[in-house]
Amino acid sequence: MGRYVVRRVLQGILTLFLAVLLLHLLTTLAIQVNGNPARAFFGDHLPSAAQLAAVEKRYGLDDPCFDQTGNPCVKPFVHRLGDYFRGDFGTDLHDRSVTDIVSTAAPNTLRLFLVVTVTWFVVGMLLGSVAARYRGKVTDGGIRGLSILIDALPVFVIMLVWKYIVTVPVYTHLRDSLGSESFWAILFKPSFDRTHPWATVIMPGVLLGLAGSASFIRLVRAAQLENYGADHVRTARAKGLAERHVIIHHIVRNSAIPVVTAVGFVFTDALGGAVVTEGVMNIYGMGGTLWRAVQTNDVGVIMGVVTLLTVLTVTVMLLVDLLYAALDPRIRFD
Amino acid sequence: MSSTPTARPATEPLLQVEDLAVEFRTPAGVVRAVDGLSYSVSAGQTLAIVGESGSGKSVSSLAVMGLLPRPPARIVGGRALFQGRDLLSLPPKEHRAVCGDHVAMVFQDALAALNPVHTVGWQLTEALVARHRISRRDARKRAVELLDLVRVPHAKQRVKDYPHQFSGGMRQRVMIAIALAMDPEVLIADEPTTALDVTVQAQIMRLLAEIQAERQMGLVLITHDLGVVADVADDVVVMYAGRAVEQADVFSAYASPAHPYTKALLASIPRLDQRGGTLDVIPGRPPVQGRIPAGCPFHPRCGYAQDVCRTDPRPEPVEVAPGRFSRCHFAGDVLAGREPAELLEEGL
Amino acid sequence: MTEPDVTALVAEETPPTGSADPVERGSRSIWADAIHTLSRRPSVILAALVALFFVFMVGFPHAFTRTDPQRCDISQSKVHPQGFGHQHPFGTDVHGCDVYAQLVNGARPSLLLALLVVAVSVVIGLVLGLLSGYYVGWVDAVVSRVIEVFLVIPLLLAALLVLSLFKGIDTGDGTFGSIVQPAIVLTAFAWMGYARYVRASVLETKNLDYVTAARVLGGSDLRIMVRHILPNAIGTVTALVPTAIAGIISTEAVLAFLGVGVQPPAISWGIMISNGAPWFLGGAKYLLLIPLCCLVATVLAFVIIGDNLRDALDPKLR
Repeated sequence: MGRYVVRRVLQGILTLFLAVLLLHLLTTLAIQVNGNPARAFFGDHLPSAAQLAAVEKRYGLDDPCFDQTGNPCVKPFVHRLGDYFRGDFGTDLHDRSVTDIVSTAAPNTLRLFLVVTVTWFVVGMLLGSVAARYRGKVTDGGIRGLSILIDALPVFVIMLVWKYIVTVPVYTHLRDSLGSESFWAILFKPSFDRTHPWATVIMPGVLLGLAGSASFIRLVRAAQLENYGADHVRTARAKGLAERHVIIHHIVRNSAIPVVTAVGFVFTDALGGAVVTEGVMNIYGMGGTLWRAVQTNDVGVIMGVVTLLTVLTVTVMLLVDLLYAALDPRIRFD
Repeated sequence: MSSTPTARPATEPLLQVEDLAVEFRTPAGVVRAVDGLSYSVSAGQTLAIVGESGSGKSVSSLAVMGLLPRPPARIVGGRALFQGRDLLSLPPKEHRAVCGDHVAMVFQDALAALNPVHTVGWQLTEALVARHRISRRDARKRAVELLDLVRVPHAKQRVKDYPHQFSGGMRQRVMIAIALAMDPEVLIADEPTTALDVTVQAQIMRLLAEIQAERQMGLVLITHDLGVVADVADDVVVMYAGRAVEQADVFSAYASPAHPYTKALLASIPRLDQRGGTLDVIPGRPPVQGRIPAGCPFHPRCGYAQDVCRTDPRPEPVEVAPGRFSRCHFAGDVLAGREPAELLEEGL
Repeated sequence: MTEPDVTALVAEETPPTGSADPVERGSRSIWADAIHTLSRRPSVILAALVALFFVFMVGFPHAFTRTDPQRCDISQSKVHPQGFGHQHPFGTDVHGCDVYAQLVNGARPSLLLALLVVAVSVVIGLVLGLLSGYYVGWVDAVVSRVIEVFLVIPLLLAALLVLSLFKGIDTGDGTFGSIVQPAIVLTAFAWMGYARYVRASVLETKNLDYVTAARVLGGSDLRIMVRHILPNAIGTVTALVPTAIAGIISTEAVLAFLGVGVQPPAISWGIMISNGAPWFLGGAKYLLLIPLCCLVATVLAFVIIGDNLRDALDPKLR
């Protein structure tokens, strides 16, 4: 187990390094072919050469390598890595540090993710287990139909429909009948409200969780079906155990292994979904920050937030792998 | 009951299967996997069910245990009496509970039949803990006892191990220990040695025979290996295409088989006392379920086959001797040891 | 209990058939089975018709309308849908452009982008997956590491970053010019799934006896990969394709909404949704609803086909 953990952690660090390098190379190439993003700082008015040079220096873009297409710009990369280690992920166009923005935005993203994870897990486990149990029956077919329907509604569409078509009339009605400070009215508020950070992320979170649950339902169903037919389940039944016990200790427990491995991918999906959700619903979180940065073309923020989210993804994938080992003794005792 | 001079213990049968019939619904149509199977086993007795792959021997025991997946399987007839109680008419939940306490099963592939994510100790006492609520400390003690019973060395340490940490033979011992955990009256062993090395096979068979004798269990041994049967079985049921083609005590079956299939099976066992000659094989292949030949299902592979075997409906069991049955039109002739050529000469 | 188990119980051993190569025989019958199964499901037929309808629209927009979506008359702004037979069947947008013409012409970038991205990703995935699964060793180490690096950067985040960075580069007019940037970026972050599936499938297949036999008989690596190993992987990959197309179509909509996808003056459904959304509450609901419905119908059609294909190619899970 110890060796496995060390190996996985080292692998994770390497992956992270390579991912950051990839992001650096992409940025560098973009600057080389597309011109200097420092210009965006000045918006519409044309800066003087001196002003431009000052801004370039501040963003670390004054290295001549940025003028030579194809140059990997190793020196600025090393410099940037050093900045990352010190917790410096750049600044936005108004000179506010990304770390500062993220530290105020992250709690809302965490709230959203908590709601998402709970929804996603409960819906996925419940419907997936039921579908496996009643395989081939009407219930199974219904759940399958539901998961197809969820798949056919991209997060983006769900959020637009929710915001523009559902919440506005519902909120207006609830506000007029119950008052604008009532829980129900806040729950259906068309956009995020900083004074009610929990209540206004519940519905977007539930919807995002539902959107991610379709593939999870299928996965749970497939993993459990594999176990329903397994020899070891037959052995358990031969022991005279109640079906409930067999399902919990042999089917759900064993199917947890493949299910856990998929959590990492569902997480990356959910991150993308969170950007859209926070963007459309105006939630002040990491995704919302990124969304607005794309709209205002604030490359510094985009770069910083994407890097931070990449670090987060690597960490989650690492944790998933460790959990996987904890669940499967065949790996633990390799 | 007066004592009779026969070797068989004159007790009530523990498990009595009567006229069992199982069907499978497959995309290709309904397939009858077991058709009119009857047998009984008493305390201390070993019954061997012998047959090739697909003869219905495993399906019949899974049906008795209530472990067949339904659908596609369906039990369409017959009874399975355990101590006089028909298991097949019980609700599934009760059926399994009775089997859990009294009728245990040892499966073929121990690696697949054991749960990879739980320790061996946990699996050994799972039923005791879940159904009889014994304490964890008692469970641990009981698990060590059980591993000792099946002679797994260092039982105390090994209860904490996972199935993949055991060798094939040791895993099969664990499988047997799990079956013994509830002190069953009847043990059904489904090809318990097929997946193992020859030397390990002998050890496992010896262990099973010893434990059975010690505890006076009824043992149903399912195998395709007639060689194994001779050493341990009292009675033998030979199955072909879902039916019992011959039922006899093991000595008579070996000495004078009453069905051409049994005879052919015996002839195909390699023997150490006959050097040089070629080994007899049974020509052709076992029938695929769903495409069983009309008439006697064995006729395409049978040296005795005549027109009657092809045209007549399947032969019914003939009692060739007291307690001996054979489903063959020529049972008497086969029993008498006459060869197909002799019958032909007589112009039959 | 799964189907193979049942078959095993019924006839524990089926007699081997004469064919030396199970894949040859097996794959053809799997495909035939799959097509047979699919053609009997009304939902699949309906979905296929919807998908074909939109694909046809991409290929032959003039069969639907001759109106130029770019020629707008500001005096005809926000004309509500009039129904077919009138000048503006689906009305006009804020600038007086014909919505029906936009819809027909907007299908093209969305669908072409999706088809292009998925096709190229599948090819990359197949090649890298085959190479890394077949040669193992350092090839596998490199490919696996690259897959992992691309996997930890979520598709949408990568697309947002890169497209923002390269925003403003002129890639020329025309449909291809307007989709080439998103196509490259989405492909770069969408191929890993196929590579992983193919690699796993190759690792599973390559030590089977018939592959060893082919190798012993002196088959070249390329021949063995293409003739004996690839057919096993194709099934899984094919089942992923329709769902992936649906995924790219919706991702494109998000990118267009943010102004970093298909670039104006080209039109895509995403751009129409983006432009229409603010007017939903302004009394022009159809400006959002019409492109949204088209998007959902297309995505739903591809998802249904994908789901059934997966089901047909992996009957174990039915």
